[in-house]
Amino acid sequence: MALKPVTTPDIEAATVELSIDGRTVSAKDGVSLYDVISSTGKIVPAMCYHYTFDPFGSCGMCLVTVEGKKAPVRSCTAKAAAGMVVRTDGDDLFQARKKAVEKHLSVHPLDCPVCDADGHCELQDMAFHHQVTNLANAKQKLIPEDTRSPVLDFNMNRCIACGECINVCKDVLMIDALQFIKKGGFTQVVAKGDTALACEFCGDCLAVCPVGAITNKFSKYLYKPWQLRKTTTTCNYCGDGCQMHLETKDNEVVRVTSPLSWKNKWGDRADTAKGHGGICVRGRFGFQYIDSQARLRQPLVRRNGTLPEGELVETPWLEAMQAVVDRLAEVKAAHGAQAIAGLITARCTNEELYLFQKLMRAVIGTNQLDSSSRYGHLNFVRAVRHTLDVGRMTNDCEDITKAKAILLVGTNITETNPLTAVRVKEAIRVYKSQVIVVDSAQTNIAKLASYPMIVTPGTEGLFVQGLVKSVIEQDLIDAETTGKHPEAFAALKRAVADVSLEAIAARTGVSVEHINEAASIFAEAPRAIILCAEGIVRRPDGYQNVLKLVDLAWITGKLGRPGSGVNTLTEEVNEQGAVDMGAAPEYLPGQARFDDEAARDKFAKAWGAALPAPSSGANLMEILERCRSGAIKALYVVGENPVATLPASLEVRAALEQLELLICQDPFLTETAQMAHIVLPACTYAEKEGTFTNLEGKVLRVRQSMDPIGESLPDWHVMTSLASGLGSQFEYESSQDIQSEIMKLLPGYYNLGEPRKLSPKPDAYLSNGYVAEVGSRYGVVREAVSERNGHRPFGLVMGQLLYHSGKLSTQASGLITIAPSAGRLHMNAQDMERLGLTEDSRVRVTSGQGSLEMGAKADLSVMPGSCFFPEHFNDPPVKDLMPVEVDSVTGVPYFKFAWVSIEEA
Amino acid sequence: MKLKDWIKTIIFYEILVGMNATLRHLLHYKPITLQYPHEKRSLPDSYRGMLSLLRYDDGTEKCVGCDLCEAACPSRVIKVISAEVPGEPTKRYAKEYYMDMTRCLFCGLCVQACPVDALGMTREYEWAVYDKRHLYLNKEQLLAIGDRAFPVREKRLELQHPNVAFFNVAFTHLPPKDN
Repeated sequence: MALKPVTTPDIEAATVELSIDGRTVSAKDGVSLYDVISSTGKIVPAMCYHYTFDPFGSCGMCLVTVEGKKAPVRSCTAKAAAGMVVRTDGDDLFQARKKAVEKHLSVHPLDCPVCDADGHCELQDMAFHHQVTNLANAKQKLIPEDTRSPVLDFNMNRCIACGECINVCKDVLMIDALQFIKKGGFTQVVAKGDTALACEFCGDCLAVCPVGAITNKFSKYLYKPWQLRKTTTTCNYCGDGCQMHLETKDNEVVRVTSPLSWKNKWGDRADTAKGHGGICVRGRFGFQYIDSQARLRQPLVRRNGTLPEGELVETPWLEAMQAVVDRLAEVKAAHGAQAIAGLITARCTNEELYLFQKLMRAVIGTNQLDSSSRYGHLNFVRAVRHTLDVGRMTNDCEDITKAKAILLVGTNITETNPLTAVRVKEAIRVYKSQVIVVDSAQTNIAKLASYPMIVTPGTEGLFVQGLVKSVIEQDLIDAETTGKHPEAFAALKRAVADVSLEAIAARTGVSVEHINEAASIFAEAPRAIILCAEGIVRRPDGYQNVLKLVDLAWITGKLGRPGSGVNTLTEEVNEQGAVDMGAAPEYLPGQARFDDEAARDKFAKAWGAALPAPSSGANLMEILERCRSGAIKALYVVGENPVATLPASLEVRAALEQLELLICQDPFLTETAQMAHIVLPACTYAEKEGTFTNLEGKVLRVRQSMDPIGESLPDWHVMTSLASGLGSQFEYESSQDIQSEIMKLLPGYYNLGEPRKLSPKPDAYLSNGYVAEVGSRYGVVREAVSERNGHRPFGLVMGQLLYHSGKLSTQASGLITIAPSAGRLHMNAQDMERLGLTEDSRVRVTSGQGSLEMGAKADLSVMPGSCFFPEHFNDPPVKDLMPVEVDSVTGVPYFKFAWVSIEEA
Repeated sequence: MKLKDWIKTIIFYEILVGMNATLRHLLHYKPITLQYPHEKRSLPDSYRGMLSLLRYDDGTEKCVGCDLCEAACPSRVIKVISAEVPGEPTKRYAKEYYMDMTRCLFCGLCVQACPVDALGMTREYEWAVYDKRHLYLNKEQLLAIGDRAFPVREKRLELQHPNVAFFNVAFTHLPPKDN
């Protein structure tokens, strides 16, 4: 579909003047007349229009008169031209619009009482405003409802064929899962090919449907819009931190809606660079875990001895807290503060993360604490903190939308961060961006990208090295930035001198020409963005590979240039916040180094307690090691689940069994909590106040939308009472109080919506330290964890599915309906044929760590020679097949990739 | 004048005037007070008494769970919990339906709001109870009131007249379209 000139910044359109209702208005030539009229503040009724896509012109409501034309014209499809004289009001137009409403209503079933859209229906509003009271020739369509999809029901009797669902799916999300079809004498919306809908299930079609033609199966017929209480909050699944509305009825979440809706259809197309307002399948359909039956409702304390014979017994809060405090104090008295450690999940709010590290450091006096950012995000933060002196990605999402070249390395972005993916899609569609995708699978974004580079599993880092080499070889370097640090550049040249592009091409499986092409596309673009994710930061040498990406950005002059930079994606919502709040042994709040004397003094004074010694800290891996060796006697786990996350070879279970005291604080009885001595029920994000920091550094409000389930309490509340029990007076009555303390200590952190622009400062590092480090960076090129050899021909990747996030989403019945734990290995169809496998055969997967039997299924996105298993499910425990490697600099455990052999079982 | 006044005083004339109506009724006895509960007034058809839920002639509930009564109710008497009809995924009904009759002011707005005439006002008014909680009525109780108060039931909407707008119909039950 042709784009309106106004939306493409590179196309300059002439400015023309036209008259609207007697006022002279200037507009760009060729723009939709409807947009020009709405820009004057006049709202002309329209049902098929939405600013996020091009006008479709099917509803016939937006009629205006244009001088020189006999009949009223549809303003949305009319183009603004010089000298037009337009009238938007008048009795004739009112009658013409009323006719259009009557036309729609005459084939509409008038089943408003049972329709879910009743009270939130544009056709109802239009009928009311235009005073339609009598229909001369009404008839019923009598089309049976299409209930084939697991998520959405299509009631085509109610459809007004406005095409909004099709347009949003095709134009904005570029999924193109819906189409019009002529069936039974009526135009109907069906899934592509008139089959059961099987798409990404983002539900944006549901959001823009102005009538009740598309309904949500999970909340169908359970509500009327006026019964619901709407709370705007932040989604807690991935790092995109989308804004959404939780709609509750009687302390029960009924549905989730997004800012994208037919209700706010007026806007400037350029506004979509700030986000189109939609949410993904996880946000929209993954809310059921909030009031799930599996939620913990009472504290549990293990009675009659310890593991494994004792059992967890429901205990009142007061008694359970007393037990926690007594036993923690006991451990501390007997073995010192160094015998206590803590782990926290990055799904907690900033306030809770801050309070957690304050509790551990100032009250208990230990620096043995870590968060789930350790699983990968810290690789990125440590690398950019080291080289660029910034602590998060330097670009915001608007930069991604407007980039001219985007290098996506090791990320299945449409699955892990769907809404950032929408921005990449918009970059492709509107801003004509060149997208280079480096991944080991044929991902959805690779299908849309102009340069899909499919590499051998585990060689994403090697490919980056090839890009650096190629840029230097092709002399695509930016003379200005490299000229500032000639020594550093010379060192880099020396370091890559031995790197051979041919060798890299042979090992990655991408030809030298393609590497060169990718390098030149990236280097020559005026605005170029690097986005790296799990394929880089969660795979061996993650830290070094991020440094290589920084090198690449530096020599091509992309560092610090507006709209360019190195960026990452986060898997859990508040991984960035966890690092910013100092829930890591190496950082104090505000990412001040833990051994920095000035910062230590500042926080010690503010907290009124001495901080633990600089070298006494321990990260996740070290904490587990110390648990195993018996140095740590008590572990406080907030929302984390290391037993189910880490491979069995790490002996997490054995390590935790050594503990004298394991306290778990979680909304669910996780595998780790089942081993705990005391389990405290925590609230989910829907039941508490706070903030999340998303991947671009925006601090976003989390608002309480319902009362806590059972006797569960917000994490900050539990930690406050725990600190008070341990003799420190934490005087927080709400998360607001914690916020004001953070505001005092970290001025400017609460940017609420508008993150501070960060500019990378590479100069200090480049002139000092770079030369020494870069030599070894490109020296040794290792292959993935376990060396590929003849009898382990398949690269097994554990990764995220679009429909799930971590282990949390497996508690959401809606997402389980969409993507149940099938326990099946995703394989390439050719591989399956070669091995003589069918969809029902069982396979035996063997790695250096062990062997498991599971089902197999063909997956179009998996390339030959690789296979995939979703990391959300431990059935069978595929994670146990993974070899573990710990990063020597950042301590990040790598366990998402293994070489395996597959045979029919 | 004086004698006349004197006689009036003698015969307690003022009292006789005052007791006129009383003495007349003493002779012509015709009571107005109904001997409730032995006698009951006949009520007009539009009497707004106890609320009830109605059924169609085939015994199915009329209520489609549209929640308009809850929206119309000025004193928040009604609570509707709607759901899909089990086994008939295109139909809606009220899974639970509650009326807190302690709060009802019998204004009849819910009856007017109902699009399928599923609510009726009976002529029952004898609802004194010892425990207020007994006035919190659920769907079964309300249907039972409807059953005893409205013995004549309507046909289903789609069977009433070809021009009636009907809905909440399982599409599988529809007659095949003639081409």
